[in-house]
Amino acid sequence: MSVLWLRTAAALYSCGLLYALIYLFRKNTLLFRPALIAFGAGTVFHLVSIVELWVDSGHLPLNNFYETSSLCAFLIAVLFLVAYSQYQIAVFSICIFPLVFFMTVIGATEFPVEKWSAGARDKWLLVHIASVMIGYAALFFAAVAAVYYLLQERQLKRKNVMPAASRLPPLGTIDRIISQTMNTGFVFITIGTVSGVIWAFIENGTKWISDPEIGFFLFTWAFYLAMIFLRVSAGWRGRRIAWLAVSVLGCSLITWVTHVTLRSFWSQ
Amino acid sequence: MKLLLAGVNHRTAPVQLRERLAYRAEEIPGALLEIQARGAKEALILSTCNRVELTAALDDDFRVETLIESLLSHRTGLTVDEILPHVYRFEDSAAIRHLFRVASSLDSMIVGEPQILGQLKQACTQARDSGSIGTFLDAVLTRAFNVAKRIRSETEIGQNAVSVSYAAVELAREIFGSLQKKRVLIVGAGKMSEGAARHLIRAGAAGIFITNRTAERADDLARLFKGDVIPYEQFPQRLSEVDIVITSSAAQGFVINREMIRRALDARKNQPMFLIDIAVPRNVDPSIADIEHAFLYDIDDLQRLTDQNLKTRLDVAQHAESIVSDEVARLEARLREREVAPTIVSFQEQLETIRTDVLGRYRGKLGNLTKEQEEAVEALTRGIVNKIAHAPISEMRKQAAGSAEGEFVNVMRRLFRLRDR
Repeated sequence: MSVLWLRTAAALYSCGLLYALIYLFRKNTLLFRPALIAFGAGTVFHLVSIVELWVDSGHLPLNNFYETSSLCAFLIAVLFLVAYSQYQIAVFSICIFPLVFFMTVIGATEFPVEKWSAGARDKWLLVHIASVMIGYAALFFAAVAAVYYLLQERQLKRKNVMPAASRLPPLGTIDRIISQTMNTGFVFITIGTVSGVIWAFIENGTKWISDPEIGFFLFTWAFYLAMIFLRVSAGWRGRRIAWLAVSVLGCSLITWVTHVTLRSFWSQ
Repeated sequence: MKLLLAGVNHRTAPVQLRERLAYRAEEIPGALLEIQARGAKEALILSTCNRVELTAALDDDFRVETLIESLLSHRTGLTVDEILPHVYRFEDSAAIRHLFRVASSLDSMIVGEPQILGQLKQACTQARDSGSIGTFLDAVLTRAFNVAKRIRSETEIGQNAVSVSYAAVELAREIFGSLQKKRVLIVGAGKMSEGAARHLIRAGAAGIFITNRTAERADDLARLFKGDVIPYEQFPQRLSEVDIVITSSAAQGFVINREMIRRALDARKNQPMFLIDIAVPRNVDPSIADIEHAFLYDIDDLQRLTDQNLKTRLDVAQHAESIVSDEVARLEARLREREVAPTIVSFQEQLETIRTDVLGRYRGKLGNLTKEQEEAVEALTRGIVNKIAHAPISEMRKQAAGSAEGEFVNVMRRLFRLRDR
């Protein structure tokens, strides 16, 4: 039963993730309340799941990685709710909602489900690969734009504005391009990550978590999440965001390389 | 009468020096008196953010160095040797030419900008109020204003007239892209900032905030642009709300420091800020230029940018220069004509005295005359005198206009025993 509660919690947490993604594009705080309520409900289900597991096993559920991840996610969720009730700072939700969702999803994959049909499997894989590719393309674009930002910023700082023909776009325009491509990339990579985790879970059962390529993948995603959060909350731009974008791009490259080499390594 | 002019401008002196030499409005009457005390007959001080110039009209040996000393006299900590490399000096026709070029904005940082004419007129009024403008400078300046008008109407110099503020708008576009929704703060409600506000509103800026030490002036400007007034003490706290800051206040010392900008950038999550400092002395701490996301341009930076972009305007300027040359020659001729005017008047008076003397002596011998006959005698004698006088007078005028030498005039004076009037 406890895994069912946990999956319900994950489903409710996904509302939070959705809110975070929408917020990146239109800074609309209207959806925050419904998302917060869903998140709170998710936390309740999460608690039920943990308590049930605790009662069943007779000790705190910290037996394996899944249980730890789940408990950790629960604690983060509770901390966020407490902090929010005290300070009403909504901006942390951009980081916390996706993070809690993911950790809970990982926790919920402790027990394997039945395999699926070949057709559904291929379509799922297609969704995963396509969204990851779109995400990387957008990220690449954002990184290039970030470098352009640096160039244009340097021009303006050095006070030599070039003749109209060879001019770079205005700084504000480049900044908007970075925001949009970076956010788009994040949405697609998040979809890719969710679908990838679910695919790996169904395919490999509980073994999936020990797969190093997935480890890389999750690390890249978390790094990306951190970058988005710093940009939205602390207003990172210019030099810092350019370095971050290039680093995340580098991580993505490593992830991609590990996928290709590990796959060929396994198939031998 | 000799004309001397000495000064520094945006081309010869960096802003750091100009801001130290600039006169505050209230210092000018005293300075004018001082130049006159040193021996000048007439004097003018033009002090704007781009130039500080002294002009003096004089009879005797008044050296240009004296003028330069006057330039420094109200400033401590600077020596003649320090500023000498930055000072230009002009005499007579070169000085007239320079004044014409300044008035018609040919010597401006941004060629064709309209503000300088107003500033020169203001300087002229100021000098007139202090009684330091006589007929000579008055003639030169009146002509300068007319030349400026003529150049503006006969050339396209003012057509794409970019002022400092226009250059600033162009830069703002480089930084922000569109200026829609951008908010502007004006610190110091002067003429320059008024121009800047007008350009920014035309470019689509959403809100204008104005702060000024004296609230009334800020209120006027706010009404003009439908902007909001921020009390002067409060503006540092509200810097984070604005994207563009234009400073043109007459304050001595920095009005905006690093700490204010750091705090503002933190509060606005590092959204870029564009600071335009058109004030001399500067209002914004120059070290703010090193802060990431803050873009600071002072008046010299704007000049370099406009120099790059305005090559085409210089062609128009050449046409204007030829008008200036033409006008300088005309004014010089007229001024020299004026120099012979006293001689001509005393010549005419001399002849008139002779005529009335001789007529008085022989009038009795003519007996009783009718009114008509009386008038005929008057006309006869006057006619003879005028006929004789005509050729020498026009020759004197012609000689005076043609060359600066006064030989012919001297001959006339000796021939007719003329005395100075």
